[in-house]
This record gives sequence, structure tokens and C-alpha cells, in this order.
Amino acid sequence: MELFFQGLEILMQWQNFLIIPIGLALGIVVGAIPGLTSDLGIILCIPLTYGMEPTMAILMLLAIYCGGTYGGSITAILINTPGTSANAATLFDGYPMARKGQAYKALSMALFASTVGGLLSAIALLFLAPQIAKITLLFGPAEYLALAVFGLSVIAGVSNNSIFKGLIGACIGIFMSTIGMDTMSGTSRFTFGNINLMSGIDLIIALIGLFAISEIMMKSQYDPKKDHKQVSMSSITKDKITKEEYKRCRKPIALGSLIGIIIGATPGTGGGLAAFISYNQTKQSSKHPETFGEGEIEGIAASESANNGACGATMIPMLTLGVPGDGATAILMGAFMIHGMVPGPMLFQDQGNILYAIMIGLIIINIFMYLIGHVFTRFYAHITRIPYEMLACIVLTFCIAGSYSTNNRLYDIYIILIFGIISYFLRRMDFQLVPILLGIVLGPLAEDNFRRAMLLSDGSLRIFVTRPISLLFLVIAVGSILMFAWKNHKSKKQIQA
Amino acid sequence: MKIKYNSEIIAGAVFVVVAAVLWVLIPTQIQTMETSAINAQTFPRIAIGGLFLFSVGLLLQGIFFNEKKEVYIAKESFRSDGFRREMRSLLFASFLLLYCVGITFLGFIIATALLVTAILLFYGARKWYYYAIPLAMVGIVYYVFGVVLRISLP
Repeated sequence: MELFFQGLEILMQWQNFLIIPIGLALGIVVGAIPGLTSDLGIILCIPLTYGMEPTMAILMLLAIYCGGTYGGSITAILINTPGTSANAATLFDGYPMARKGQAYKALSMALFASTVGGLLSAIALLFLAPQIAKITLLFGPAEYLALAVFGLSVIAGVSNNSIFKGLIGACIGIFMSTIGMDTMSGTSRFTFGNINLMSGIDLIIALIGLFAISEIMMKSQYDPKKDHKQVSMSSITKDKITKEEYKRCRKPIALGSLIGIIIGATPGTGGGLAAFISYNQTKQSSKHPETFGEGEIEGIAASESANNGACGATMIPMLTLGVPGDGATAILMGAFMIHGMVPGPMLFQDQGNILYAIMIGLIIINIFMYLIGHVFTRFYAHITRIPYEMLACIVLTFCIAGSYSTNNRLYDIYIILIFGIISYFLRRMDFQLVPILLGIVLGPLAEDNFRRAMLLSDGSLRIFVTRPISLLFLVIAVGSILMFAWKNHKSKKQIQA
Repeated sequence: MKIKYNSEIIAGAVFVVVAAVLWVLIPTQIQTMETSAINAQTFPRIAIGGLFLFSVGLLLQGIFFNEKKEVYIAKESFRSDGFRREMRSLLFASFLLLYCVGITFLGFIIATALLVTAILLFYGARKWYYYAIPLAMVGIVYYVFGVVLRISLP
């Protein structure tokens, strides 16, 4: 309880209340632009947070994450193109509502459902995370390695249909994390005699290259004449949600939030999956399922409460176990590390007060999100009017300046551009980038603890299976890989049938 | 000429070669003084070994299990939309590579302004403000990083 009040005290500084709306506004804008995701927004803003206090920096990035997840619904509703993958389910009913002239109503419901889902998720994080962290204090090197393996098993869930591609991505990431000077022996590894590589590849540099530059490259085939969709202001009316509609949406929002929290807390899933499951469940339990897909407001409530419901919950495994739940939390985990906070069991013990400030801050973020969204909904249509060619240039300029500012060296600019080109070709060959990121983030954790555990056990691998918690994580990791493999096999069979 | 392929075959083959080369390079690139069995070479070996094995798996999956695309290579293939699209991606990639060289000699402002102009021309932008806004942004970023964040860009 003492930490809670200390956290509250840290949070109650005016700078935090200034940075949250800024982060939210940025997140909503980034999320609302198709092709730009909240992940990208977080990456671009990490260099801007270098001079900030950890609480302020993380709150800003979290605000971008939450704002981006909500912001993606704006284009899903207005132009039938979800801003982020988490909002894909929103367009089923959002766009038909906009075509019926009910865009304002659809946007308002998306905002309301996102806020409720986000608030419940933040409360779940606040109460569940500290309890889990208490258990994780018992961990030794064997458990940490098992945890890293468990984290890497997430790749099975994010590899689409090819587990081999996911595993190759993870190996590439782990290999990249070993480049530079070995922290235990001081040996240089794969530096090819280049002094710039001695300190390894910075996480933020890898992130900008992997995600931001490759995203810009993916759009190199964009045709401004065909692909740019504009929104007319007349498509947004002032048709407000009625009391009866709020009443009807209570159940989908409650169900969606719960699904979002459960799915979000499970590593390897994320808001997109939660939104689809929630949409499906709401449709199945509805008395009028035939109206779904035709502009049913309950459909928006279900999907938006679920994807924002996952936002706070994805932080539970990240903060307590050091296992990121999805791509955005993997990036956030990197941001925590950049600000001297290593997610995992010790975080609650070492920097519990800051962590409480951040967790309570997440509740404030959701309240601000409602206020900002409520005021600016009618102006969002303008965001989609920015031509992509202009946007690509601006984003690229920020990426280059941001990467240089990390270490004040040109070398990092070369790395982001070359990484971007390589990851573009990987994406063209249907590789997912999250496994590479997981490899980079979890590689050092796995290596350090593997070597420590082997020292403790005199080189015997039995240490990993004789300690119950370590064994449990390894069994869960194998189980989750098998489960995802089975699911993939089943879905392939269904497609063939 | 007819070619049958899929992304698994291409990626699998590329990574088999990459992993083999990296494996051969380990003794020269990681010259450890440690005498224990678990040393600085162990984890890179696990990662590179895994990369090799999974790439072989992907290659076999591509050859024996997954559907393959059939492509007839003729003169017309080089005029197809698909080929043009690929060329556009390569052109974009070459802009970025040229930028790497350009920024070394020209500095941030000139090199980035040239890159921005090249990208806008690439997309066929015609309106003047399409050029003015991103170019102004280059200057603003240079100023903000230099004055506000005290990071002098090259």
C-alpha cells in the first residue's frame, strides 16, 4: 500500500498531466493513419523521451499505445481501412454505419467502448500484476531461462502459418543480440573488426529499422491516384447515441472487456485477436445476429472494448515476467530498459513506486482519452486527408534524426536503413517481424541466465527440469507451441476443405 | 523458360547459405580465451545452428509440401506490372542506400532534402506544397534536435 501512495505522489506532477494528452493526441493521429501503427508511434517517440523522467517517458509512450489502438477505429469506420490490425473487426459494422450517415455515432461508440475496455484493463493490471510479481521473486537463473524460452514460444502464435519462418526470425534476433562485446567474458563477437559494433546493436536502432523503415518500404508500391481515400466532412453527422443503444451495448462492452483482459494477458495474442473473438461471441449471443455486418452498433462496442481491453492486460506478463505479450509491448519493454527499468520480477522490488505511478497513470490515460476523443472526434476526418507521399517523407526524416540522436553517430543511420531494406524483403517473403524483435529482447536474458545456471549446476542441463517453476514454464512453452501448431494445422485443413 | 518456386524455397535456400557462412566464421569472429564448455561461442552457435536447421526445414517444406508458383520467363515478363512493381521497390531501396553515402559527404540537411525530393518524385507528386511541407520539416527537425534537444545532426 505504501508503494501505491508513493506512486500516486510521483504521478501527481503537472508534467505528467501535460505529457499524457500529448501522447494520446500523437497516438490517435498515428493510429488513424492507415499503415502507421501505434508500434511505429512508440518507436518514433522513444528518442524524444531520452531527457524525460522514467515515469513521464513511459506514460507518454503508453498514451501513444492506447491512443493508437483507439485511433485505428477512426479510419476503420470512415474509410473502411483499419488504422491498425487491432481494429480490423471494427470495420465490419463501423463502415456500414458511416455509409448510413451514422459515422459520428459509430465513432462515439468506438470511443466509449475503448475507454471502458481500457479502464477495466488498467484496473486489472493494477491489482493482478503486483500479486504475480510476488511469486516471481522466487526465481533463479534456471527460472529466468525457462521464462525466456516461454517468451520465445510466443513466436508460435505470431508466425501466421509458418512456424519455421517464426523460428528463423527468432534465431536471427538472438544472433543479432549476441553481436558486440560479450558481457561475461569481454570477447568481441561478430564485430568484423568494426569498433562501432563493439557495443552491439542498440534496441531502438533495430526497432526503427525493422518496423518503421520496412513499413515505408512496404508502401513503395503505393499509387497516390488509386490508393488515397479521402473522407468528406459530410459523412460525419451529429447523430448521437441514444439511451436505448447505450443499454444494448452494456453486455457487449462487458464481454469484450473481459475477453480483452484474458486474451491480452496471454503472451502471443494481442488486441486484434481479442477483438475478433469478442465480435464473434457477441454476434453468436445476440438475439439479432443477422444485423451484424450491416451497421450494428453492438459490433463496434464488442470489438473496440476488446482491443483496448487488451492494452493494459498485455502489460501484465511484460511487467511481472519480462515476457512481452505482443509487438507493442515488446517495444515498450525496450523503452522500459532504455529508461533503466528492466521488466521482470525485480522491477516491483527495485522501482515499485515508479511502476505504481505508471499503472495508476494508465487509468488517467484512459480518462483523458475519452475527453480528447469526445472533443476532437469531428476533426479526425482531416487526418486521413494527409497524402501518404508527404507522410512517408516526414516519418523517414524523424526516423533518421531519431536514430542519429541515440548515439550521435552516422553508423546508426546506416544500420536502420540497411535493416529496413532487409526486413522489407523478409516481409515480402511472409516473415513476421515480431519473432526477430522477441529474439533481440529475450536473447540476452536467455544467454546470461543459461550460462549462470550452467555454472551453478556444473554444466548439467538437469537444473532446468528439476526446479518446479522452471519445469512448469518449459512445459507451458512446449504446450503453447503445440497448441498453436494444432490450430494452424486445423485452419489449413479447413481452408483445404 | 519455366520456373517453379514459392517464398519458402527462396527464404530457406538463402538462410541455409547465410547460416553455413556464419557457422564457418564463428572461430575467427569469436576468439574466446575461456576454457569451459559453455563460453562466448555457445549462444551464437545455438542461434546459428537453429537458423541452419529451421532453414533446412523451411526449404523442405517449400519443396515437398507447399504449393508453388509457376513463372514463365520471357521478354514480356520484363514488361509486366509485377516486374515494374518489383523494380519500384528496388529503386526505393537504392534511394536509401544512396542516402547512406550522401549523408556522409553532404550532411543531414542537404542529403535528407535530396532524399525527400527523390521520394516525392518517385510517387509522382506535382503540387508545390507536397514538396514544401516535408522539406520544411527537414529544417524544423534539424532545428528542434539542435536547439531544443541539443543534438547536432551531421
